[in-house]
Amino acid sequence: MQPGVLTLKGFLGNDDRKLADIIVTDHQTLLRMRLNAAQIAARLQDLADRGADLMEQEVLVDNRYRIKVRDDRGKIPSPWGDGLFEKGDVDLADQKTGKTLKWNRLTLRLMQEHGFFGGYGSEYRIDPEVVVDILDLVPVFEDPAV
Amino acid sequence: MTPIITAVLVLSALSGLLTLLLLVAEFFFANYGECIIDVNNGEKTFKVEGGANLLTSLASQKLFLPSGCGGRGSCGTCKCRVLDGGGPLLPTETPYLTDEEQKTAVRLSCQVKVRNNVKIEVPKELLSIKEFETVIESITDCTHDIKGLRFRLPEGETIKFKAGQFVNLLSKPYDDVKEGTSRAYSISSAPSDNKAIELVVRYVPNGMVTTYVFKHLKQGDKASLIGAFGEFFLRDSGREIVCIAGGSGLAPIRSIILDMIDRGISNRKATFFFGAVSQRDLYYVEEFKAIEKEHPWFRFVPALSKDDSDHPYQKGLITDVVARNYGDMKDLEAYLCGSPGMIDACCKVLAGKGMPVDRIYFDKFS
Repeated sequence: MQPGVLTLKGFLGNDDRKLADIIVTDHQTLLRMRLNAAQIAARLQDLADRGADLMEQEVLVDNRYRIKVRDDRGKIPSPWGDGLFEKGDVDLADQKTGKTLKWNRLTLRLMQEHGFFGGYGSEYRIDPEVVVDILDLVPVFEDPAV
Repeated sequence: MTPIITAVLVLSALSGLLTLLLLVAEFFFANYGECIIDVNNGEKTFKVEGGANLLTSLASQKLFLPSGCGGRGSCGTCKCRVLDGGGPLLPTETPYLTDEEQKTAVRLSCQVKVRNNVKIEVPKELLSIKEFETVIESITDCTHDIKGLRFRLPEGETIKFKAGQFVNLLSKPYDDVKEGTSRAYSISSAPSDNKAIELVVRYVPNGMVTTYVFKHLKQGDKASLIGAFGEFFLRDSGREIVCIAGGSGLAPIRSIILDMIDRGISNRKATFFFGAVSQRDLYYVEEFKAIEKEHPWFRFVPALSKDDSDHPYQKGLITDVVARNYGDMKDLEAYLCGSPGMIDACCKVLAGKGMPVDRIYFDKFS
């Protein structure tokens, strides 16, 4: 997780919380917004697929998202030790909100399998509060409080 | 409820303590003494001090198994057959081994501890892999994010490799990176140029080794290379070939073309399609144009996918450019180097034009 071990900048950004706290806080945010990690990962994967195979050309998707998929050689190991994931970042700029996202295959894996969305300040953080606006996600389950 | 939680916590603490005690005891008291590693039934034998893992022990004897993660057990590439003395298969290995591999004694060498004499089997080619302590002769800016590097081998040493193969470049610790690590790069020079190695490296944002190359390495520095590895090389079929590459994927194709010239292979037509986004992503164009002029069997086709300026190159995605340059491709063979996405897209085009899939060779950047 730390800089310089598996990746140059690590996965935690400038977040000094414990890993478990990062995961639990984001999980609670998801519950509050009635979303789940699989839903976010699937949407991001879909956007990545629509920008892929274009030899790194930027493409406008849904007349809203500017997407560029980088092709880089090699793989990044998961800090959980559950595999290697092809490099290649996806950069998304949302023309509606002006917000940006960056992710790769490992980001989606960490989110979906380990509930880890990245530490604060990490370039690859997919903040559930931010992503919901960018992706116009709708709740996938009933609010248990209702 | 509380007694159950207390019991679980006490048991966990006891297990942890026992594990810690075992590790401490092993560190201080375990002495495995000298162990012999027998490679390929006596083809090579090494005497090593027991206690280290097999990958490290072999590397200390200059036998290098490919490893993408430096022995952290996370890449699953340092496989070899351990015929005797390897101990039981560990849970840390099983995710990386197929059922067939497990049945045939294939192990992850980074997870096997050398505690006694060990018999192993490795592919014969690995026995000729060497580590080279080189000096950087030159670093050239090829494009805004690609550098060409030339490494001079030590006096009297030469490297033997097949055009298309790769080496591992070892980085040294810098900034937050406390340990050296390694990454694979295709050799871009010809096998005949065997006192040096040329590589083409594209900057990967936040990449540990490319950042080292781009921000820390300079001419005259020492650098370690291990190799050569890989199954991507020109087959001696006599068929016309189509090469397709993008970005730093140009490297092995350049090596193959230079090797064809050196070996006087002029009876095989070869066309090299190089895909880039815009003119600023093109490099080595003059060199390939000069080869084209001198060797009628070779054709160089750079293509730009998004450049509206007035340029002499073909326009469009490289897959479209290849498709419109050929009719039936059933008698050709292809050599591709680039990202997985590019390779997959090219394979579809080539197969759609009749090229048998077993004649499409690629280095998928992974």
